[in-house]
Amino acid sequence: MKIDKILLSIFQRAFKSITDEMSISLTKTTRSPILCEAKDFVTGLYDAEGNMLEQTENLPILSFSLGPVCKVILDQYGEDIHEGDVIIHNDVFSMGNQNNDVAIFKPIFCEGNLIGWSAAKGHQADIGGAVQGGYNPNATEVWQEALRIPAVKLYEKGKFREDVWNLIFANIRLTMVQEDIKAQIGACSLGERRLNALVSKYGIDCYQAHKLELFNSTETMMRAEIASVPNGTYEGSSMVYYDGKHPGSQFEIKAIITVNDEDIIFDFSETSPETNGFVNGTYTSSCSAITLTFLQMVNPNIPHNQGMIRPLTYIVPEGTILNASYPKATTFGNHLCPQVADSIFKALGPAMPGKVTAGWNHLLCSLFTGDHPRTGEKYVDICFMGLKGGSGALEGDDGYDHIGMIDASGGLLDQDYEMYEQQTPHLILKHEYLTNSGGVGKWRGGLGIETIIKMGGDDATMVVFGDGDVEQNYGLFGGKGSVLNSIALTYPDGKEHIPMSKDIVEGIPSGTVYRQIAGGGGGYGKPKDRDRDAVKWDLRNEVITEEQAKEEYKL
Amino acid sequence: MKYKIGIDVGGTFTDFFLVADNGDSIIHKTLSTPEDSSEGFITGLKEIAEKLNLPEAEFIDNIDTIVHGTTVATNALLTHGGAKTALITTKGFRDALEMRRGIREERYDNHYKNVVPLVPRYLRYTIDERIDAEGNILSDVNFAELDAIIIKLKEEEVEAVAFCFMNSYLNSENEKAATEYLRKALPNTFISPSYEVLPSVRFYERVSTTVVNAYIGVVVDSYLKSLLGKLEKLNFNGKLMIMQSNGGVVTPEIACKTPAVAVLSGPAAAPIAGAYYANLLGYDNCITMDMGGTSFDASLVVNKQCVTSTEADIDRYRVALPTLDIITIGAGGGSIGWVDEGGLLQMGPKSAGSLPGPISYDRGGENPACTDADLILGYLDPDFFAGGKYQLNKEKTIEVTEKVLGKPLGLTAEEAAAGMYRVINMNMAQGVRQVSVERGYDPREFLMICAGGAGSIHAGEICRELEIPMFIVPSVAPIFCAAGMLLGDLKHDYVRSYMSKLSGLNKDEFLKLYDEMKAEAVKTLIAEGITEDKIEYVPSLDLRYIGQYHEVPLEVSMEDIYGFELETIKDAFHNEHNRQFGYELKEEGTELELINIRFRAIGITEKPHSLSGNIVKGVDTLEEALKGRRMAYIPEQDKMQEVPVYDGDILKSNFKISGPAIIEQINTTVFLGESYNCETGIGGAFIVYNKKLMPEGIKEFKVSSSELEKQGIEK
Repeated sequence: MKIDKILLSIFQRAFKSITDEMSISLTKTTRSPILCEAKDFVTGLYDAEGNMLEQTENLPILSFSLGPVCKVILDQYGEDIHEGDVIIHNDVFSMGNQNNDVAIFKPIFCEGNLIGWSAAKGHQADIGGAVQGGYNPNATEVWQEALRIPAVKLYEKGKFREDVWNLIFANIRLTMVQEDIKAQIGACSLGERRLNALVSKYGIDCYQAHKLELFNSTETMMRAEIASVPNGTYEGSSMVYYDGKHPGSQFEIKAIITVNDEDIIFDFSETSPETNGFVNGTYTSSCSAITLTFLQMVNPNIPHNQGMIRPLTYIVPEGTILNASYPKATTFGNHLCPQVADSIFKALGPAMPGKVTAGWNHLLCSLFTGDHPRTGEKYVDICFMGLKGGSGALEGDDGYDHIGMIDASGGLLDQDYEMYEQQTPHLILKHEYLTNSGGVGKWRGGLGIETIIKMGGDDATMVVFGDGDVEQNYGLFGGKGSVLNSIALTYPDGKEHIPMSKDIVEGIPSGTVYRQIAGGGGGYGKPKDRDRDAVKWDLRNEVITEEQAKEEYKL
Repeated sequence: MKYKIGIDVGGTFTDFFLVADNGDSIIHKTLSTPEDSSEGFITGLKEIAEKLNLPEAEFIDNIDTIVHGTTVATNALLTHGGAKTALITTKGFRDALEMRRGIREERYDNHYKNVVPLVPRYLRYTIDERIDAEGNILSDVNFAELDAIIIKLKEEEVEAVAFCFMNSYLNSENEKAATEYLRKALPNTFISPSYEVLPSVRFYERVSTTVVNAYIGVVVDSYLKSLLGKLEKLNFNGKLMIMQSNGGVVTPEIACKTPAVAVLSGPAAAPIAGAYYANLLGYDNCITMDMGGTSFDASLVVNKQCVTSTEADIDRYRVALPTLDIITIGAGGGSIGWVDEGGLLQMGPKSAGSLPGPISYDRGGENPACTDADLILGYLDPDFFAGGKYQLNKEKTIEVTEKVLGKPLGLTAEEAAAGMYRVINMNMAQGVRQVSVERGYDPREFLMICAGGAGSIHAGEICRELEIPMFIVPSVAPIFCAAGMLLGDLKHDYVRSYMSKLSGLNKDEFLKLYDEMKAEAVKTLIAEGITEDKIEYVPSLDLRYIGQYHEVPLEVSMEDIYGFELETIKDAFHNEHNRQFGYELKEEGTELELINIRFRAIGITEKPHSLSGNIVKGVDTLEEALKGRRMAYIPEQDKMQEVPVYDGDILKSNFKISGPAIIEQINTTVFLGESYNCETGIGGAFIVYNKKLMPEGIKEFKVSSSELEKQGIEK
């Protein structure tokens, strides 16, 4: 079939508009704030072989996480895939990325032929397991974290399988999750309808040919980007501190990156072995972390389809902390992304000095649960506003203030303060940029945040998970790192409690003051080379102190 | 003879539409004067007097109303040309404005910057005071701190101050006290407290909207004063009205108090005009599209009402006031075609602008633009652009397009132009999809009303992509917004947050809030010269199912509000939720939660009797209007073919033209593809319908609002 260059543009735009539309539908209909406010979900379209046509990722860590599952489903069901099927999946030992991230897949048929899949994956408010919300720092095995759902049909040929549905949701605490899964199925139906209409209009052969050409043209763009990186092998590493079980434990994430003309290999074989705690990655989430980091160094306009990742080779051996073996606990795995990113940026710094950033702030986060005296109901809240520090600076630009960890890259929004005070019993005392928190440099790191909250409601529980409280993030080429992350509680009697970076604190009384620092990003280049007007502007705006201006920036 | 004039100031041209009380009308365009747009405004009036052969003074004396859409507020925002503004907020919340909840729109671009806040951090002051989530005062305003801030405001020579205190939507006492104190201390400073601008929950929305209001306040105020001054000099003694973003009009005095209502003053008139023209033909629902030089606007009219939203972002600044839901994308006559790194042809959003402009303007433009493609494809006549006012250089256009786009794509200039045409149509169709499908409406059930000079060259393909069966090109298409302005009523929106389960609503409190808003509305409208019998009220409620995060605005009747008909309201909500999202939870008995109560008061203004263009002279047979034939691109066949060209300016109503054909007018060109037939309608409108979708002709397209509703529910 002759390729129509113009039709190629049209297909690409149509695919994108479909996944965008699915994404809007999910935002508007889901209930859990993690989905509708923080938008922790991804929507995608795949071809009949499971190759990605397009995706809309609100959080980059979820991007590229649906494709591997699609291939698992194709292998598992073979010929047994029919119009009207709806398949659910979360299992991290069959290419899931995180237990809470539950995927829905819907096969799409046109004139009786399987032409593709629509899919949506979102972070559910609960997924069974020992602890509500899924983050269990005490877990050593997957069953203490979550209900495993290997690929299973919720609908077969359009018929609802109530028995399967009941089995799954008998193991999940919140009924809200059922509604959110329904919303995901709705979004997939939308994608199904739209892709079907598109392919019907142009014909299956035309779609097939142009889809392949689209992959090729995207691959060409990606290969051109890689070709501009000097050939060689580059190494970088970063550390993970504390696995939630063994105080003082440390793990190394080590990237060995080989650039060979138009191909690039990301080899993490020399990374530390897996742990007995929940600080373990999964293959899929580690690959997403690698991809999203590399994408920040290439042309941001390259379409997100299968062609984009063809030139990338991932080596993440099972048994390392980035790819835990069955049946290890892995819920923390997504949050190893900052360290994966650090190791890649550090490795490629010498080869791509204009593209890498200094260190981003690592995630340190808390989740509150308790009773809300005003409504008489329970609340669950991840303190998004408090966890988001600054990004690392890069050549030509300061880091982005209060953007949050690189896994989200600005896709995770703060709660609105007034809605927060309605929905929880807490009173926000402060949520402001932290002075002097941007790592100093010619280009300054993004600013971190100070959050102070007076907790209300008796007997609250706080789950803490994260990192960035031990080692300062890195500056580049003479720039410096930023302040450390920290969380501290001051009880009404004046006693202070500092939780570990993976911890559960129970029985928190009303009136306790919660204080969190999310550090800034690292600086790039020597601080004395920073534009004098920029230093004066920062000083005038009190994001740096006179002391820092003098001592670090030599103003 | 008395005149009403709509005046729409755009980037390149200022458009005028004059209607005399005998129904005669005049379309006029003059070059905009961006330095001070009131100059182009006045020049245009003088030019119209000449056109009418009237002495200036007599003409001015006979104007009874001018409705004005201004871009002054928008431009102040886009160019950072607003006042030096300070913000005073609650201690601990200094940075919410700049943080924008921590979003970075481009996830993978580490060079992507946050917007420059309208108030820099050093002018954002915090003060000791606090209201809790139930509206209780935890601490009073610390006036000693306010005194210290006042000294700094004077030192910095701040021109405008915004106030936004935490939870002031529940209890404005503290904010009010501080505002009154500051107004006394700085009587000449523009002071804007959030309780006056947007007393509803969501701190970020409120602080951002209030700051925008303060930032553009001084600019809007001085522009309107200067304009009024100039009009006074001409002895103008009619009424001047300003178009608001909500599609209503307002007196200059009130616009100066809440200038944020005029942020999208210009484009808001398009859906108003769309509703009018659809209604003329007996339709309640339409999509309006307006294709200009750099941008394409699309909006929706449902049941004769323009769809509004409270989530407008202007250049990434949030303005949470009710605003007509208009999607703007970077696609227009000036949009540039380029080949991306993967070899795909893209169009826009970069535009050639008016200087150097498209290649065909022959003013040094080297980038093929949409207008160039339209020329190469034969839609435009190089000798009849703007009625022959400008000569287009076709030879050069072909040569450069071949070099810039043809070569890298391996295509001829003609093929590349066809590609540009198809890609930009796809982009615009996506804009229409956003405003319809993504809001839960099926575009196939809508009529398209098409505006802008080039819009009707592209409308056919946009409609085909979306399976919209029919589009209309009204005679006023080239100055569509100026015409729409004459149709605006006075509109004022009010909001109060009232968070409660619907079943637990306290009737007295609820009605008290409505009484309060109503009293305010009546007072304002009477001051604007409206009598009470000319006021209409449209209450609405922001509701959601308990546990949801996003609320759904629901329009209700005054009877339901004052009769406290909660069951009726609940049913209406279930239906609306189902329409938008495909499901409802009525059977489950899920509780509803109220977030905001809203109130719109409409002061009905006097409208012109007719808004149709004048027909200079008419011909009796179609053949007489045939200007000639030329080669044009037929998208259905992907090839060039000879088509007839008609002079649209002399066609009377009730002619039928079968596509493919071109209908040329001085300011508009209509292209009929092979799929279309066209009938000329009342007042010089062209009604174009798809032969296949409507084999019986235009009579077939009769989707009434009630049918649409029924279909929506069944879906």
